[in-house]
Amino acid sequence: RPRLNGHRSSSDTVERTKILLLGLRSTVIPLQIWDCPANTTVESLGVPLSQFSTIIFVIDIRDLYNQPISKLVEFIVASYAENPSIILEVFVHKAEKLQEDDKIENFRQIHERVSDRLLDISPEYEQMQLNFHLTSVYDHSLHEAFSRVLHKLIQSLPFLEELLNVFCPNIQSPKAFLFDTRSRLYVATDASPVDSATHNLCCDYLLMLNSFGPLYNPTPPIHPATNGSATNGSTSSTHSRPAAPSMTSAPPSIHTPQPNPTRHTDFFYPSSSTTLNAPSSPSGASTTLSYHLITKHLALLALLPSTVYEERRGLVEYNVVFFRQGVQEICAEEEFARVGE
Amino acid sequence: MGASGSGKTSMRSLIFSNNPASLTARLGATIDVEQNHVRFLGDLVLNLWDCGGQDSFMDSYLTTQRATIFKQVGVMIYVFDVETREMGKDLEYYRDCLAGLQQYSPDAAIFLLVHKMDLVREPRLTAFQRKKQELQDASGDAVISVLGTSMYDESLYKAWSNIVHTLIPNAAILTKHLQTFAGACNATEVILFERTTFLVIASSSPTPTSLDTSLELEGTTGIPKLDAKRYERTSELIKAFKHSCSRVREEFRSLEMELYDFTAVLDEMTRNTYVMVIIHDPTIEIAAVKLNIRLARRKFEELQSDSLVS
Ligand SMILES: Nc1nc2c(ncn2[C@@H]2O[C@H](COP(=O)(O)OP(=O)(O)OP(=O)(O)O)[C@@H](O)[C@H]2O)c(=O)[nH]1
Ligand SMILES: Nc1nc2c(ncn2[C@@H]2O[C@H](COP(=O)(O)OP(=O)(O)O)[C@@H](O)[C@H]2O)c(=O)[nH]1
Ligand SMILES: [Mg+2]
Repeated sequence: RPRLNGHRSSSDTVERTKILLLGLRSTVIPLQIWDCPANTTVESLGVPLSQFSTIIFVIDIRDLYNQPISKLVEFIVASYAENPSIILEVFVHKAEKLQEDDKIENFRQIHERVSDRLLDISPEYEQMQLNFHLTSVYDHSLHEAFSRVLHKLIQSLPFLEELLNVFCPNIQSPKAFLFDTRSRLYVATDASPVDSATHNLCCDYLLMLNSFGPLYNPTPPIHPATNGSATNGSTSSTHSRPAAPSMTSAPPSIHTPQPNPTRHTDFFYPSSSTTLNAPSSPSGASTTLSYHLITKHLALLALLPSTVYEERRGLVEYNVVFFRQGVQEICAEEEFARVGE
Repeated sequence: MGASGSGKTSMRSLIFSNNPASLTARLGATIDVEQNHVRFLGDLVLNLWDCGGQDSFMDSYLTTQRATIFKQVGVMIYVFDVETREMGKDLEYYRDCLAGLQQYSPDAAIFLLVHKMDLVREPRLTAFQRKKQELQDASGDAVISVLGTSMYDESLYKAWSNIVHTLIPNAAILTKHLQTFAGACNATEVILFERTTFLVIASSSPTPTSLDTSLELEGTTGIPKLDAKRYERTSELIKAFKHSCSRVREEFRSLEMELYDFTAVLDEMTRNTYVMVIIHDPTIEIAAVKLNIRLARRKFEELQSDSLVS
């Protein structure tokens, strides 16, 4: 059963307010996702395909057979006819269902059969932009594939990449990502190849930090299990801090007697780091994974030698500040361009 | 102890072997008794007996193996599947085990875990209360603790932290020293975790075992009211991240966070413990906290070796 999902391009400002995709609001790119059932056709969509920038087809990795492949090819041909500049992506999904060897083999076969069929129809399809990704919801491969799809829609991508390419060697980082913190999709990365183990680790780190964020707040979220007294307590409390990080006013101090200075959330950027040891390496060299919030929704994650992070912290922070300035300028540009549209 | 399929081996694998919950689907039924020595806090060796729960094994524990099974027990953990369709039989075996325990190890602590709470759809609290009452009625005048657990959330860490707590001789002394340490760091709270399991051993907050009462502490101690589940959530989060690290063949060592609402440092305290320092005062520098941890290491190392020898 080939499936299709349509990505609406963000050409008009009115439509954009509805966009609540994966937490990608007001990041580098505003986008809208259409999630369509299996029986959708180009006609039944009700909107011309010229309005879309990308189509993602989702096909089960076990669907190597004639029928699902034909349906997929049919849709590809129809979409291409209507909008030749549309980006076509195929997610070969539920990959974790198969063993490693079968996985690669099935993936290769699906890829080959679709391409062969298309070329049989017309040699013109050779130039078609058609990309295949192996995905599963049980690991971060879906995040990685989605990130790659996203990259083609980010106009400022080369500038963001350039900033990362400058940042990495300055702090001896072998790999750095700019992530959207809530969706855990990466918006850009430096030129070194993405290794999925590192990518997975970054996703897991973000997941952990997102969960820690509210955990030690003085005003905890009310659990359904706790009784009503929790609500009373928080309103009468003299030392509540803002529950939402977006709060701009300075929160009152938590230690009641002497008023402590508090973080001005306008100028404060959360950061974190975790140190990892490689048990296999005899030198005991350790790696640090650092996290720096760059804008409200974007975070820079970088791997770097722990010695650099510990002994040359000033250098790291300086480069982060420089990087942040660059990204914020790009975002401001984009915002400006969008409003002007 | 507990019926077959109730989740005993799954728990053991989650808490003591750093495995994710998804892997437990592959576990087969345990044959007879699987004995495990788990080193806890370095020198404290827990001798864990995972008793296969099929009827034939249970019958033999209660008859021919009775003395072997029930002698020298420190803690009995009896696991009940919350969704069981054979509660009558479960309770019957449980009563027999209780009798065996009272005969051979009358001082053993008893924990009853109502497990797989994630499967309960109706209000969980009501379902749990009902089970708890049923279990209390079945236990006569034995002193028991009944806890609801699921391997898919932090409740399992809470239950096991309570269990190991009964085995740590100097928990009260540790709490006192952690309070001193918290004062030195200007910390809201300091929590001590066991290194491999990441179970909570002690914390600077007054009653780490009865976390539900933490709401009432507010005002009397000046400690801000924090989420009652924070300890076990922390155990769960760190364990999950440790697992992610191991997948890239790295070993988790430390973590520091400067977030909007608090600053936290998690680092090695002794060879067998990790400490987490939670600070709500934004003027405190992480470097200072790390220095304090370094300075406190020897003291805590001594404390630990003293108490475990005695
Ligand atoms: N939904 C749910 N399933 C669980 C939970 N804990 C364990 N299970 C599942 O229950 C099944 C049986 O778990 P085991 O740990 O092998 O059971 P056991 O008590 O050791 O059984 P015996 O060895 O025969 O006595 C496994 O498929 C687990 O995945 C839980 O908290 N929630
Ligand atoms: N094994 C496996 N199952 C998946 C995966 N992704 C989705 N599913 C399951 O497939 C089923 C259908 O998913 P859904 O997203 O509703 O499909 P849709 O009809 O295309 O929107 C659900 O039961 C999902 O849990 C995957 O990566 N692996
Ligand atoms: Mg078992």
